[in-house]
Amino acid sequence: MRKKIYIHDVSLRDGSHAISHKLDKAQIIAYCQAAEAAGVPSVEVGHGNGLGASSIQIGLSRLEDVEMLSIARENLIKTKLAIHVMPGFATINKDLKRAFDIGVDLVREACHCTEADITERHIAFARERGKEVIGALMMTHMASKEILLEEALKMQSYGAEGVVLYDSAGAYLPHDVNEKISFLVANLNIPVGFHAHNNLGMAIANSLTAVESGARIIDGAIRGFGAGAGNAQLEVLVAVLQKMEYETGISLYKILDAAELAQDKILEEIPSIKNLSIISGLSGVFSGFAKHVSRLAKEYELDPRDIFIELGKRKVVAGQEDLIVEVAIDLKKINSTNNSKANG
Amino acid sequence: MDKKQIGFLKKDCADAASWSLRLLDELKNQKLLIAGGTGFMGSWIAEFIAFLNDNHQFNTSVVILSRNTDSFKDEKKHLATRSDIQFISRDIRNINELPPDISYIIHAAASPDNRNHVSNPIETIATITKGTDNLIDSAFKLLNLKKILYLSSGQVYGKNPIQKELISESDFGSFDCNKITAIYPEAKRLAEATCCAYSSQYKIPIVIARPFSFIGPYQSLSKPWAINNFINDALNNKTIRIIGNGEPIRSYMYPADLVVWILKILISGKINTAYNIGSPFGISLKDVAEKIVHIAQTNVNIDIKFNNNDSSHYVPNITLCENDLGLKINYDVEDTIRRSIAWFKLLPEASILE
Amino acid sequence: MKRKKLDIAILGTGNIGTDLLIKVMRSEFLQCSLFVGRNLQSKGMSKAINLGVTVSDQSIDILKENPDLYDLVFDATSAMQHFRHAKVFKELGKTVIDLTPAKVGILCVPSVNLAECLKEKNINTITCGGQASIPLAYALGTVHPDIDYIEVVSAIASKSAGPGTRVNLDEYIETTEKGIQMFSKCKKSKVMLILNPADPCIDMQTTIQATIKDPDMKSIIQAVNKMVATIQRYVPGYKLIVPPTFEGNRVIMTVRIKGLGDYLPSYAGNLDIINCAAITIAEEYSKIFTLTKSEK
Repeated sequence: MRKKIYIHDVSLRDGSHAISHKLDKAQIIAYCQAAEAAGVPSVEVGHGNGLGASSIQIGLSRLEDVEMLSIARENLIKTKLAIHVMPGFATINKDLKRAFDIGVDLVREACHCTEADITERHIAFARERGKEVIGALMMTHMASKEILLEEALKMQSYGAEGVVLYDSAGAYLPHDVNEKISFLVANLNIPVGFHAHNNLGMAIANSLTAVESGARIIDGAIRGFGAGAGNAQLEVLVAVLQKMEYETGISLYKILDAAELAQDKILEEIPSIKNLSIISGLSGVFSGFAKHVSRLAKEYELDPRDIFIELGKRKVVAGQEDLIVEVAIDLKKINSTNNSKANG
Repeated sequence: MDKKQIGFLKKDCADAASWSLRLLDELKNQKLLIAGGTGFMGSWIAEFIAFLNDNHQFNTSVVILSRNTDSFKDEKKHLATRSDIQFISRDIRNINELPPDISYIIHAAASPDNRNHVSNPIETIATITKGTDNLIDSAFKLLNLKKILYLSSGQVYGKNPIQKELISESDFGSFDCNKITAIYPEAKRLAEATCCAYSSQYKIPIVIARPFSFIGPYQSLSKPWAINNFINDALNNKTIRIIGNGEPIRSYMYPADLVVWILKILISGKINTAYNIGSPFGISLKDVAEKIVHIAQTNVNIDIKFNNNDSSHYVPNITLCENDLGLKINYDVEDTIRRSIAWFKLLPEASILE
Repeated sequence: MKRKKLDIAILGTGNIGTDLLIKVMRSEFLQCSLFVGRNLQSKGMSKAINLGVTVSDQSIDILKENPDLYDLVFDATSAMQHFRHAKVFKELGKTVIDLTPAKVGILCVPSVNLAECLKEKNINTITCGGQASIPLAYALGTVHPDIDYIEVVSAIASKSAGPGTRVNLDEYIETTEKGIQMFSKCKKSKVMLILNPADPCIDMQTTIQATIKDPDMKSIIQAVNKMVATIQRYVPGYKLIVPPTFEGNRVIMTVRIKGLGDYLPSYAGNLDIINCAAITIAEEYSKIFTLTKSEK
């Protein structure tokens, strides 16, 4: 029997970062229909940082969460409607209940990779409501495999039905993937997954390493449509996994059609590895920061690379976008003192 | 709780009493302390003793010791307002003086919810180990003390490496103690060793029971255990999801049996002996799910995901209790699930998960 | 004449309660007559015993039985427990400063509405993020009374968030949002909390962003500076690190809160700021309380 790999499509969530969270109705309809036709198992929809994260800090969504989810719901039948939820942004009362009323099927409960216990209540609530729940550990390049296992075991105890390691900064090399994924696979009762970013050009290679290390859930985005340099390119994943004789249940031709459609109707540009993405990956900074850094670098007349390096030194985690302003102001001060010294 | 629910519990108690009265004779006119008495097991003991007092003149009184007795008092008014049930709101780690006329103690203080164990492991260890130590130490001064029953856990057996179908009281496997999931069983093992130490050094009469798995009234469907999830999903018309292959074998004792077993082990169990409590009728998770769907008369799907190869057995061998204490099982798998579902259907939707 | 200190009781012996104890012992207006909780073996309890404070593990019951021993209570337990405690204190006629997010009583930010709160019997200190951000939101509201939207992000060190905080993130968010709206009169608010595990620990940092059309930056800066100075009187570690800046279409400012390092190290500015607020309320209360007593 060919081994099954569950492909989870994050295009309409992680991709939101790439277009400053400006998904519109027509785009959601078109993509959901295309994904449904291709047999994609689940489609994640929402703001780049997930439910309840539309904010000045991270970026304001064009559409409210409930609008995005309702539109997606109407256009998905067999394909599951998924959400990304980070405690600290979304709450049960304000956000989860409404999302569940709309009919979300699958919940990714996400947190920084060392903070799994903040997901306990949300996971319990989602399970009680009969939702499928997968735990998501983000920025996992920042923690050792032992710590990741500990946190994953917590999520397993809370009722998570899988745990996905996020390489949110695109900082992994294949041997890191192998080390961490195989350790988790050997020690958990629930399936393990991997979520790649392509900052160092490793998204597909890392995803395949994850599969060969025992991961059963792989995240992908159409044309790589995701934060920073993008995610593992979904249609490439499907093709490569097919060649390696894994079963994804996704029709290759139809997912290629979906890619064409996304390129025409949704993507502002096809994700590529820009200089900044490389620096971001090397310094281990959350990929979602890219747009903010570029904008503020321009405004404060700074080299964006310096900002990334400084953010990496300060060990920022997802959600700390306000620190970019502080870093910019600090760097600006240093520059001006240096300049005045040079001039004086 | 409404009349229907109380009536349901009375029926269970009457069924339990119908075969066990003569076994429990020694309980008459005794004063019983239940540490951790507001939980699932404590509630059942209180319920059953109240029934024995009302219908069979047991004249047994109960003292419930718990860190927080308020929600018990709110939710179980029919028990809380009785004169034969008293309360002490204290943390078991700080109890010093116990009511002097206590003759029996059941130590049931420790949350079995594995979510708490991983979110708050330090507190978990402290409550189980320091709590056990302090409770027994306090009991030392009781003049009328006949026996202490420590409710340990079937989890102390660790992994069941030889895949025995039934785990008996000496079948210890091992586990990695340096793991977050080992916190609870390791603490329970240390607590058992603490019992052994007090029994050896001060000759305090202690008996141990190792409960396995249960389902029925006073359990919450929000607990993160397979059968609780399955019933919750079935009653809410949601697909039942099995993460692994559905092959792990478990067994479920109905609490009307459990309560008799606990009390009998308390009064007649041999000192320094550990007894398994649970149902010997193993059933695979897949079959549990199918039975639930059938009994609940829904047509929800069962989705088996085959994400692991776990086919472990967690079913007790109970011949020790059967042979030495004359205990028996009155509810088979079918009865247990049928009665449980009937109970959960009686609850208003919101309180099922409380 | 030497003023008699106000007798206060502390209910809850976790990090918050223990830190409060140390602050009370330093106060020239307050003294702790009872330090009560459930577990005599907790770290807080042993600290209190070492400090020679009267302790009890009978929690609310001992306070119920001995109302003469104290004039005011700090409740540092949990929201769930405060709902029960509030009824008890109401019956006893005791003033309680509630440090849980239960929101039973009036929401208090000392730099804004202290006088008004002192008339009440149940005073709530909102949340740590609320104490850091609401005064600034209020300052913005005094300049622009019709702000559409205010957003607050706080980052705190993972180590400073105990199990209680972690399981109650939802309550933290909802309570702080309510406070922001109430005090600034803005139409909508959003609050986020980030736990950062970086080692060494980060100090608590809170950023306030507001959507304001044509902001009067001069007045804003003036109002904010004035407010920061007021807060610094009772929270010495409170510092404006990004002054009000108009950037894009938002006004953004950031404060950093370094703790006093009383019970937890100085990174726990989140714990410090809410406790400093509570102590200020109690000290002010002691002034009027003694007054009414001596008048009798």
